[in-house]
Parts: sequence; structure tokens; C-alpha cells
Amino acid sequence: MRKIIAVWAAKLASALSKLLGKNGSTIPGTVALKICPDILSRMSKDIDKGIIAVWGTNGKTTTNNMIYTVLKEQGYNIVCNAVGSNMLSGVVSAFVSYSTLSGKVKADYACLEMDEAYARIILQYLTPNKIVITNLFRDQMDRYGEIDTTISYIQKALEKAPDATLILNGDDPLTASLGKEHKNTLYYGITENLGLNLNETREGRYCRFCGTELKYDFYQYGQLGKYRCDKCGFKRPIPQYDGKNITSDDYVSFDVSGTHVDLPCKGIYNIYNALGAFALSDSCGIEKQKIAEGLHNYKGQSGRMEEFTIGGKLVVFNLAKNPAGFNQSIGNIISEKRTKDVIIGINDNDADGNDVSWLWDVDFEKLCDPSITSYTASGIRAKDMGVRFKYSGVDEKKLTVGGDMKQDIINAVKGKGERVYIVINYTLLFSTKKILKELEEEL
Amino acid sequence: MKLRIAHLYPDLLNLYGDIGNITTLTKRCEWRNIEVQTDSIYGNEKISFTDYDLVFLGGGSDREQLLVRDKLMSMKKELTAYVEDGGVLAAVCGGYQLLGSYYKLENETIEGLEILNIQTEIGSTRLISDVVIENEKFGTIVGFENHGGRTYINDHTPLGKVLYGNGNNGTDGFEGVMYKNVIATYLHGSLLPKNPKLSDHIIKLMLEQRGLPTDLSPLDDTIENNAHKYIVDRFLGTKKQ
Repeated sequence: MRKIIAVWAAKLASALSKLLGKNGSTIPGTVALKICPDILSRMSKDIDKGIIAVWGTNGKTTTNNMIYTVLKEQGYNIVCNAVGSNMLSGVVSAFVSYSTLSGKVKADYACLEMDEAYARIILQYLTPNKIVITNLFRDQMDRYGEIDTTISYIQKALEKAPDATLILNGDDPLTASLGKEHKNTLYYGITENLGLNLNETREGRYCRFCGTELKYDFYQYGQLGKYRCDKCGFKRPIPQYDGKNITSDDYVSFDVSGTHVDLPCKGIYNIYNALGAFALSDSCGIEKQKIAEGLHNYKGQSGRMEEFTIGGKLVVFNLAKNPAGFNQSIGNIISEKRTKDVIIGINDNDADGNDVSWLWDVDFEKLCDPSITSYTASGIRAKDMGVRFKYSGVDEKKLTVGGDMKQDIINAVKGKGERVYIVINYTLLFSTKKILKELEEEL
Repeated sequence: MKLRIAHLYPDLLNLYGDIGNITTLTKRCEWRNIEVQTDSIYGNEKISFTDYDLVFLGGGSDREQLLVRDKLMSMKKELTAYVEDGGVLAAVCGGYQLLGSYYKLENETIEGLEILNIQTEIGSTRLISDVVIENEKFGTIVGFENHGGRTYINDHTPLGKVLYGNGNNGTDGFEGVMYKNVIATYLHGSLLPKNPKLSDHIIKLMLEQRGLPTDLSPLDDTIENNAHKYIVDRFLGTKKQ
């Protein structure tokens, strides 16, 4: 009975918050948890074929939604927290929105992306059958303390799911190290050297088992690459799912397990996301060719290289949450040869991380490029970003320290560049997108 | 004239954007036509401290900090002599803790370099906050702290009095240490970009140690000062200016 009341209250809360125009994707879950604290363990029992969890610093949402698309095309019913709400209340919200008024969840699979720090809490209520871990980078450190803390959180969560199949990015030594103590582990990775030669933050350069500096034959990006520890023998595992024949002229494509995959998106990191999704789907017994078709039909998520047309100008909008994400966005901006005006928006709300010191780990120096016609710092921490721009050596005459996102976008659209690029962090996602949609109508 | 910075173990100690401090010192020198060379010191290199005008020690995770401590212990005598002779040393967070006599964790006590008479003990929570402190000479200094250790500085002069945040230990109201030409602090953010007066103070110390004239040509610090003022206003309110 308590469960049913909780579901009703949550559904009511959801309807109300939508009526008020809020992006309240966690509100129903919060309400349901208040009324019925163990609602998740009750509802997750209804899942038929399997609970899939996706963890990791970057690419969680993309990987999870790729898996969702593949499974969906096979006709399965799926509970999915597709909106990127990945703490306990967000996961509960996803179940509530999928349940009948009697609190029944008629689904074959649950695809759940989980925040690394909250996974151990969510796993008190449900046990995933399969867990994908995408990578572990430095993210929101004031919340987690440091990367070692994040790993210890993940280990605690893994202890609650000893029988789950782990699907790990073997190219990341931090992620791969988690497979050592787990019995069912599959790895994915890219054995061929992509030759990207990015100069950026490398997180886990030291062996997690003995502290020795890892030796690398090459890096793909970040600390991902072909590594080994000469002291204790820890090394990059040979991946069961190995991305080969990679092309990335425009959209990326690759072969895995003898199957060709064309992705509808750009960015080398999306190959890793797709490989994780491929490995997971294959382990669910889905035909390889069907997986490739599903991945091809995947639709990009909100704020991932989304395009808008404002006043006749193309505006490219991208979410990045940490140094690795920003470096990738910067790579995308620089690879565009047309002239452009660039806005970087930084907030410091709890979901972003209150500490913005990571701005100094991002390679903004790469934006010193003649194709960029103006630089605007925006968001709550516009002034910090302004300082970062200044010290990255950009032409100060082209630099504006703004803060009012709408005005900053209007100015950039009126700028000299052929395009506008906007990169923002998490809590600027919804508000900026709303502004972009408004401006599409207005200008 | 070329100033030389030794950035110790940037691969191990670069947890909270510490590199921003080096970037800031380098740029502020470049803008004044002072050449700067930064040597990143890795692995088991023996360092000749006297070849440098600034030694910079950043923060790292506990595990990485322990690796650094072992490396530095082998050069304890040389680094101590460098500091006692007036060598300029800037240490942030984990680097700050290493300069003390020990860091007491739950189950073990890690011996420090004993360059400062300070002691650190692990606390039950991490102290995480924006911070505003006041220094007699530089006025307000802003930054961000994130540390599990509580540091007690005995008779040392603090870097400043805490106006907002926790500081060394969350209880005695002080932040950091200034000793001879050592500046040690829990503040990152990075520390120097938004504190141009402190940055220029360090540059002057470096010039002074080299026996060079210390008058620095003024720079337009509007962008830096606005970012500094934003933090002061946000956390202290506009009155306390």
C-alpha cells in the first residue's frame, strides 16, 4: 500500500513540476523516497531480464543511451534514466515514471547510469546484472575528495554486486584495475594507436597495485593508452572487444568483433562509448549486426554537440564537466577551420563542483588560434574564466568577461565569426538550452 | 636575466590546478620582459636547489604524496639549507603538510621534512570551502581549500587570518605559514591567478634573491582584481571591503 501511495504522490509531483515548467527530473523520486524509503528494491524486483548499470566519469549518459537504443530496437521495454539524473532520486524517478498506478514495473531491462559516488547507495536497493565502467577522470573534486576516494566508492559498490558481469574500458588503467579482483570481467579498448598526441591531464599514471610509474607505448587521450607496470606486471588487458580500422574524418566508424559500426556522431571518445555499449549488448545475446544498426540510429543527447541556428548563424553547443571533457570540446573547436566566436560558461553549483581550480588543468592555451574571433567568459564564475582566458595568452582585445548568458550569446552571434561555439558545464545545460531555443525564435 | 623555477614532481603533485600558479608567475614576468624558465622535476633526479629562484611544491593525493615524501627525504638537508639561506619556496596543500614534522594518519604517522615546526593530524572530515583570509601586507587573499589534515603552526607567522572558510585546522582562525621566504598554504584555486599582489610579492622575492632590482612595472590587473573582488563580496558581503 505504501508503495502505491508513493507512486501516486510521485506521479502527481512529476505532473505538477512539469506544469510549472521545471526540469524536475529528480523531484518524483525524492517524493517517492520520502513516503516509501525502500521503493527501489520493491520496484526493481519486477525487472525481467536484467539491470544494467553504467558508471564512469565521462560518457555515462552517451553509453547508457546507446545501450537503451540498441535494446529498444529489439522491442524490449526498458526503464532508463535518460535525462542524466544519476543519483538515488533520479533512478527512483525513472522507475516511478515507468510504473503503472498500482506500482507495477513491466520492463525487461533497466538501463541506469549512476553517479560514481552514489552507486554504492543505489546498490543497497538493487543489484545490477551487468556493469559498464567507461573511464575514471578527475571530476568535481570538492565532492569526492580525490580520485582515490572515487575508486574506493566504486569498490564498495562492486562488493554489493559480486556476481555482476563487469564490462571495463581496458585502455584506462584506473578502470581496468577494478577488474583484477572481480570474477566476471570483459574488456573493451582500442589496440591501434590513434596518434592524437594531445597534451593533457593524465590521471592514473601510477600503478594502483604497487605505485610504480606506468610505462606507455602510446596514449590515446588522457591516461588511456597501452600501458604496463614493469614492477608488478599489471598491464593493459587484451580486450575482447577491440575497436579496429577507425576513421574519424567526419562521423566516426570502426570495426569490432568482425562487425562494422557507423556512428551518427563525432569525437574519438564516442568510439569508446560505442564499444562499451557494443560489449554490453553482445553479452545480452543481441545479434552483432543488430547492435551495429542500433548504434547507428542512436540520437545524440542534450548538450552533446547540439546545433542551433540563430540569426542565420550556426551555433554549436556542448556540455563538458571536467578537464578531459573540456579538452575534447576544445579539440572539436580547433578542428573546425571556419572562423568562430567562442563562449565558455562556468557555474560552481553543487552539481558542477564548488571548486573551479580544474580550469587551470584545461588546455585553454590551444584556443589561441587566429580562427577564433572573440572569447567570452560566462556563467556564475565568468570572472574566474576571464582570468583563465587572460593567462592562456588569448588576445585580450578579443576577450569579454560577461556573465549574462543570453546577452553573451546575442553578442557572439553578432560577432565576426562564421559560427559560434558554446561550451558550458553541467548546471548551465538546461538554462542555456532554453535561451538558445528562445533565440532561435527571436533572431 | 632569467628567473628559474623548479616545479617539483608535477606528475605527482598537481591535484588542484596547481599548474595555474606557475602559469601566473610566468605570464606576469613575461609581461614585464622578465624571462622565466620552469624545469619540471620528475622521478629520481637529484635537484641542485641553489640553481633555482623558486621551488614550487603542489598538492597530491595521499598515495602520491607519500611517493614524493620519499623522494624529498633523500634531499632533506639540501632543501633545508636552501630555505635557511632565504631560498623562495611555495608549497600548496599536500606540499605544505610535507614541510612539517609529521602527518599523523589514523594508523600511521608519516615523518615530514621538518623545515617548518608544524604538525598535521588527520581529521574526521575534509575541510572544503571557498576561503578568504587577510594578510597585513597584501590585504585579502582568496582561494579554495580541500584538506583532511588539521595543521598546527605553533609560533610560526600565518599567511593570514581567516575571514571565511576553515584555514589550517578550522579552529584557531589562521591559514598557512610565512617563514623566511617560504609561503605555505592550503589555498588552491589556483592561488596566484586571483591574488596578483601575492604573485608579484613572490616575483620580487625571486629577483631579490638573485640580487636584481625588485621594482616591477605595473600591470593592468582589472580582470584579476574583479575575480578577486567577486569572491570577497560573495562570501563576506560588500561591507567588509
